[in-house]
Amino acid sequence: MSVVVQTAGHPDGPISNTRRVRSALGPAARAARPDLERQYPEIFAGSRRDRLTTIGVVVGLVGLFAFALWRLDFSFARIGSGLVQLAHFTTLMLPPSSGTVARFWLFLNSLGETLAIAFLGTLAAATFAFPFGFLAAKNVVPQPLVHFFTRRGLDTIRGVDTLIWALIWINVVGLGPFAGILAIMCSDFGAFGKLFSEAIESVDGKPIEGVVSTGGSRLAQIRFAILPQILPVIAGQVLYYFESNTRSATIIGIVGAGGIGLWLTEAIRTLEWQQVSLLVLMILVAVAAIDQISARIRFAIIGDRRLDL
Amino acid sequence: MLAIEALTRRFGDFTAVDRVDLTIPTGQMVAVIGRSGAGKSTLLRMIDRLIEPSEGRIRFEDRDITALKGASLRHWRRDCAMVFQQFALVDRLDVLTNVLMGRLDHTPVWRSLLKLWTGDDKAIALSALELFDIGSLAANRAGALSGGQQQRVAIARALVQEPRMILADEPIASLDPRNTQLVMDALLRVNRDFGITVLTNLHSIELAKRYCDRLIGMKAGRIVFDGTPAELTDAAVTELYGLEAADVIEIPSAADPTPDEIRAAWDAARAREPV
Amino acid sequence: MPTALPRLSDDRLRPLAAAYATSLAAARTRIWIGAGGIVALVLVSGWFAEVDLVRMFGRIGTFTDYIGRIFVFDNGDNVGRFVLVAPGEWMWGLAHWSKLILETLLIAYSGTILGAIGGFVLSFMSARNLGRAPLMRGGVKRLLEICRTVPELVFALVFVIAFGLGALPGVLAIAIHTTGALGKLFAEVVENIDMKPVEGTTAAGGSWWQTVRFAVVPQVLSNFASYTLLRFEINVRGASVMGFVGAGGIGQDLIEAIRKFYYADVSAILVLIILTVMVIDLGTERLRHRFIAREAHA
Repeated sequence: MSVVVQTAGHPDGPISNTRRVRSALGPAARAARPDLERQYPEIFAGSRRDRLTTIGVVVGLVGLFAFALWRLDFSFARIGSGLVQLAHFTTLMLPPSSGTVARFWLFLNSLGETLAIAFLGTLAAATFAFPFGFLAAKNVVPQPLVHFFTRRGLDTIRGVDTLIWALIWINVVGLGPFAGILAIMCSDFGAFGKLFSEAIESVDGKPIEGVVSTGGSRLAQIRFAILPQILPVIAGQVLYYFESNTRSATIIGIVGAGGIGLWLTEAIRTLEWQQVSLLVLMILVAVAAIDQISARIRFAIIGDRRLDL
Repeated sequence: MLAIEALTRRFGDFTAVDRVDLTIPTGQMVAVIGRSGAGKSTLLRMIDRLIEPSEGRIRFEDRDITALKGASLRHWRRDCAMVFQQFALVDRLDVLTNVLMGRLDHTPVWRSLLKLWTGDDKAIALSALELFDIGSLAANRAGALSGGQQQRVAIARALVQEPRMILADEPIASLDPRNTQLVMDALLRVNRDFGITVLTNLHSIELAKRYCDRLIGMKAGRIVFDGTPAELTDAAVTELYGLEAADVIEIPSAADPTPDEIRAAWDAARAREPV
Repeated sequence: MPTALPRLSDDRLRPLAAAYATSLAAARTRIWIGAGGIVALVLVSGWFAEVDLVRMFGRIGTFTDYIGRIFVFDNGDNVGRFVLVAPGEWMWGLAHWSKLILETLLIAYSGTILGAIGGFVLSFMSARNLGRAPLMRGGVKRLLEICRTVPELVFALVFVIAFGLGALPGVLAIAIHTTGALGKLFAEVVENIDMKPVEGTTAAGGSWWQTVRFAVVPQVLSNFASYTLLRFEINVRGASVMGFVGAGGIGQDLIEAIRKFYYADVSAILVLIILTVMVIDLGTERLRHRFIAREAHA
């Protein structure tokens, strides 16, 4: 009885609606409320406590947000005038155009360069990260110190943004796409190492036990029990990173490490808005195409399974 | 001959296996029975050294199994194959490669890592599969097989290790009745045709009585029964299983062959078909 | 004496072996084609991207040299000595840099919050299973795609021109990119929910928003929170380079130090960034585990 009463009379109930015609249950329940509160104090107090936690979290998040806005000098006047400017730029962007045909070919060429950077960078990162994934996996190297230092090392490399790596590599191999490849390789090396080691740690232990029980050595365990399980996962992750690297490869040109980003920066700085919109359009199309292809390959490799990233 | 002396395993405060003494002569087919949690699995895993004993000793002929390390431990695991409840196959590899895993300790590392199995090894693996009527599945992915087929693949893998002894840890617990019989027949065949000692954990007393020469009853980590199927009286079962006894004693139906009939049928089959 | 396994006679063995070989042949061909394709792509890309391994190995010394050099003082009393010899001098700008790091974190935080709100709203509109009009769903999907495909730095470049230098364009750029990234992930979560509660709430007479509030949000909230935290981690990294284009944060000082060859400053700022990122990673990881644990509990 009491359960029914609470559902119908609960102020938060999804179906409470004052305009609806009520059965006799409502008034009866309201009359019984003091008794019910005495009988089930934890229900009435409990919802209040949950609510307080929620309010606390929301107030904390909003408060920090307000502090950030104040600290970062947000002003509505600036936002307003900026938005007007943006709208103006947008009108200037139409229609997308490269100006000259020769320039369009240049754009296309550097788009190809961008894809090449993303592809080689990802592939190189995956190749180098592969052994480190094993080194950082608890179930392969049960030595906590090795595990700790490999993980922290990978984290350090991962903590440095691709653009920073690009700047460093430009100092070494000079301006150009090669620096971009090395930059993507470095930042993904850390990410891959971590992802691979997690994939290795989450393999099913039963096949490993099976190989151990036949007298298989550690290498045989890796080769026959771990590798077949992780290869499709790893292939999926590498493809996914190739997709996302196509995006990041478009910007390393900003610091001079090759690809279409160079032209994009140029066009924005010189306020050539039609060229900007064309370049953005080209990037969108290229990325969509890569997404499609890699989604298809991924599907072929691992089926409909969702990626654990 | 396998000889176990005062074998003990503790997990924290809990003693899973408590000073077990046991001798199993070569060629016996032995069932370990008892409630779940009685320490059956731990005992078997210790014999294959998948779990380290806390105390006690395991000897096999003149080898001290408890002291083995590195390559000699791997040799022991080759000689003492294991069949698991959940098969422990590598789902993504094909059936033949899974069976060839049994040859790992017969094959140089570099060859095995490159999957350069010799023609001989492949022939042995195929023969083993064919022995259980699944030779035609060699190229299928192990994960795509039914439970009964997977378990037969696992037994084939055990067999190509050319072991002295096979440990089977609840080999039929995940199977339906028909596959149960196929798998138990396979184990019996391994034992009768090749003289390999079989030591298996079984939940079903009926099956244990029907297929095995000797039953070992465990309770709370200790051996409380050791004898032939005939010696396992209802009273002994009640002692082993307590209140669950009624669940594990099935009334044998007239259609079920008796142990003697099964053995006789096997002997007849062997006489007909020279292997 | 190990047990010898009887070998089948050759004429029984041969068809089995042949069947096995043919079944594997197709897979093997696929693998070779795939490998060949990758090698071809590598060669083409290498040519396109002007990969020059000779130059690379010729200058690999420069790389280690550079790494070595940034950890050595380049002027002052301690010239040529390892930076940890005088940590005070190495971290001379600590007060200033800490302020900039705080600014970076706040940029990442407010960008993440704005982006999460945007992604939250748009994800329900673009989820396949919540029965919104296909036209609107398609439109929202495209919008999210543009938001996450155009790199945040490109947005930042444009916004710097529109809004002027400072943190504001950085926050907006991150917010837009985050909306796109989270909107997609959120929509996937929503598409994978159990639909029975949705039916129940609809059957009880709930409106679309009420259904979302009571049948969908409770199922997805912990996943959303976990993805948002992950995004925050990524955004901290992203915010650290916003300064490269004048959009606020520590990046401005870093690119100056790199461009003007203030070697010791480069390492000092890098170390600060890496430490910050690590602390944030550890913190968010712990929070995410709590969300996941709570999820498993419920």
